[in-house]
Amino acid sequence: MDNYLYQEFNRSIYRKTLENGLKVQLMPMAEFNKTYAIMTTDFGSIDNHFVPYQQEEPVQVPDGVAHFLEHKLFEKKDHDAFDLFGKLGADSNAFTSFTQTSYLFSTTSHLRENLDILLDFVQDPYFTDETVQKEQGIIGQEIQMYNDDPSWRLYLGMLGNLYPHDPMHIDIAGTVDSISKITPKILFDCYRTFYQPSNMNLLLVGKLDPAETMGWIEDNQAKKEFAPQEKPRRFFELNDPSGHDVIPFRSLTMDVNRPKAMVGIRGLKTFDDGHERLKYKLAVDLLLDLLLDDTSDNYLRLYDQGIIDDSFGYNFDMTRAFHFAYISTNTNQREKFADEVMAILDNADEEIDRAADHFEGIKRAEIGRLISLLDSPEAIGNRYAGDLFAGANLMDEIRMMKELQLADLHQAAKDFVNPAGMSVYQIVSQHQ
Amino acid sequence: MHYNLASGVNLDVVPSKKFNMNQILINFATPQTFDNATARNLLANLLETSTKKYPTQTALADQLAKQYGTYLSMGVTRVGRLHCVRLKASFINDRLANSELFEKVVALINEILFNPLVNNGQFDQETFDRQAINLKSTINSYYDDKQFWAARRLLDLYYRDGTVMRVPSFGRSQEIDKLTAAGVYQTYQEMIANDRVDILFLGDVDAEQVKAAFAKMPFADRTINHQEVLYHQPLYKQVQRQVEYQPVSQAKLNLGYQLPLYSGKELYYAGLVFNDLFGGSPYSKLYVNIRERASLAYYAASRLMPFNGLLSVQSGIDSRQASRVEKLIDQQLLALQHGQFTDEQFEEVKSGLINQYLSSNDLAGNILGRRLANQLLGLPTQDETAQINAVTRDQVVQVAQMLNKQAVYLLSGEN
Repeated sequence: MDNYLYQEFNRSIYRKTLENGLKVQLMPMAEFNKTYAIMTTDFGSIDNHFVPYQQEEPVQVPDGVAHFLEHKLFEKKDHDAFDLFGKLGADSNAFTSFTQTSYLFSTTSHLRENLDILLDFVQDPYFTDETVQKEQGIIGQEIQMYNDDPSWRLYLGMLGNLYPHDPMHIDIAGTVDSISKITPKILFDCYRTFYQPSNMNLLLVGKLDPAETMGWIEDNQAKKEFAPQEKPRRFFELNDPSGHDVIPFRSLTMDVNRPKAMVGIRGLKTFDDGHERLKYKLAVDLLLDLLLDDTSDNYLRLYDQGIIDDSFGYNFDMTRAFHFAYISTNTNQREKFADEVMAILDNADEEIDRAADHFEGIKRAEIGRLISLLDSPEAIGNRYAGDLFAGANLMDEIRMMKELQLADLHQAAKDFVNPAGMSVYQIVSQHQ
Repeated sequence: MHYNLASGVNLDVVPSKKFNMNQILINFATPQTFDNATARNLLANLLETSTKKYPTQTALADQLAKQYGTYLSMGVTRVGRLHCVRLKASFINDRLANSELFEKVVALINEILFNPLVNNGQFDQETFDRQAINLKSTINSYYDDKQFWAARRLLDLYYRDGTVMRVPSFGRSQEIDKLTAAGVYQTYQEMIANDRVDILFLGDVDAEQVKAAFAKMPFADRTINHQEVLYHQPLYKQVQRQVEYQPVSQAKLNLGYQLPLYSGKELYYAGLVFNDLFGGSPYSKLYVNIRERASLAYYAASRLMPFNGLLSVQSGIDSRQASRVEKLIDQQLLALQHGQFTDEQFEEVKSGLINQYLSSNDLAGNILGRRLANQLLGLPTQDETAQINAVTRDQVVQVAQMLNKQAVYLLSGEN
């Protein structure tokens, strides 16, 4: 087990890759009552085309299968893993993104028992026709609930604009129709391919003793037999890597009082190296802050003209297969909002120079915000993105953020902003 | 450590080296009336937007950014009948900032609270107009969040005509047009002069230094006479029912029960255990029997409102199943009234509550929020694990029998 001390934060991280390939990381937090554990596989909603474990032919699986598998993994022949955590008073949950599925618990007692429950339920699948059928009803309701959520529709609508022929344009949960095609066999194919220990990582943060905890994990794994590990062979290729398939504009009419508008921008850069990707990500984060955050002249101008209000926000999503930024607001001036934001992005280089004296303040603010996350075991655990950022954790991010210079923002703007990658999506009120 | 900065102005300092961030919470409390909620919400928005020294929101935001992204926000809430304007701030500790950040943040809060952007006895007109428009759209946009909307409509149905509880703590959009820049300035002056003020600090600063910093704020003595903070409502003769139609794909069925149990008072901890057995946890009867077993809902949960004597149930369902779901909810309550829960479930729920309680002590904001609520209700802040452990099965049954269904609200997708 190797360990590394981050002196400025008085925190250490302990790392080990087990014999079966499972990557384990432990980060103790002094004085905390809680331990947060999160176990992640590199398998998400876009991974719908792959060669199943120890087979030859690629298969195409229905949309929403990763999320469906996540729900079903808790259920066993004679019990539900969720209840086992509950008996110990622990909280447990799981979530699926475009590229990952994570299982987690948090507890203030019985750490070893909870850890065994987590490892055991994730490593022991049980899928039958009957349980699959029941889940189709529950997830159907979940999909419907999200249908009524204008913010989610706005986000998903934008993904549909930016990646119209790629799996990202479909809800992570799939559709009522696609999940009806899921069978136990499909779930097993996915499971055997992507839930091999060598395709997973386990992270514990909070109250823990590193040596003791690592021992518990190793004991648990030593009792199990694992099939030979095989690197998943997935086929993910963007329909059009040049981004020419971006749909510039769409809108949706909903029963809302307040219309919404979003500008999205699809990045085209590709990366061979996780460090490089993380640096780019942090630079784009800072770039967006400099151009648009609440200290910027742009923000004040748009706010005072009533083009944006306090609901204004922006984000940059980076995954192994794609990345994009989105900027949104509630507004009655949807066209004006889109024109203004696109003009700011188009002129990013000049905008950076004009706002240069804000740079140190903005950087300091980002550093402060990242440091605030160090008080949360969940934030540390959820933010960890494995190989995506070459294993960097929150403290590595803070260090890298401190090193960014204005020139990095110019470079990020050059790499990221391209007019053909921009798009607009609107939620229009049916009352107007 | 507790200090009185002036009569009616309290300072509570919780020294801690556990966190990288320091926290400040300042609460202004006064009994809610029919017309103060909207004005005070707008006031909170105005105060956090600008000050005389920092006359635009970017100027103010720039100060916060330079102070390592200090988080500062103001908002409104309600504790029983008390309307509260709150300021929350969090910022990295002086060791990580390598500077006297604490003093700077307190100075900035002082500027925000005591030097607002006011000229000739009124808030700056342009800022006022913009914030008034924004608050109106924000309140109107609550309609767009169907889960929130349905929960709010249930409260409208549950609270009796003529009680201020019907006015949400965030106010009403139709009241905003009646407010003026001069009128809200008057609201401000009343708040600063007459409200009960509670200041709470948690973090790595010497208590005397904290006291000295806040003592510089020019709070005057005031007389506090908040008679009955907790809200109690007499029973209706019959259950209040309402159905509304909107084009939603998932219907919302919400129920309100009178449950005269109050924070820290008799049977309160039994109420927490009851709530988790009924619908407050994923191991509850509602979750298991309505969501999991019958596949009837994506969510079905209950919530205890221990300042208002109310317990509510929220569910997201298929419109056509509304009466079936309501019957099932009734059955779950009946089962608990007859003590139909295992010892195992009972112990699980207690362990879960203790786990939550201990976990909440890892969140600085939660620690301060709980201390504040206790202070406003005149309760001591103590380790709650013993009280949770002491709850008996009989007490839970007793609580279950205290529930009276009062209101049923359905937001339906089908007309």
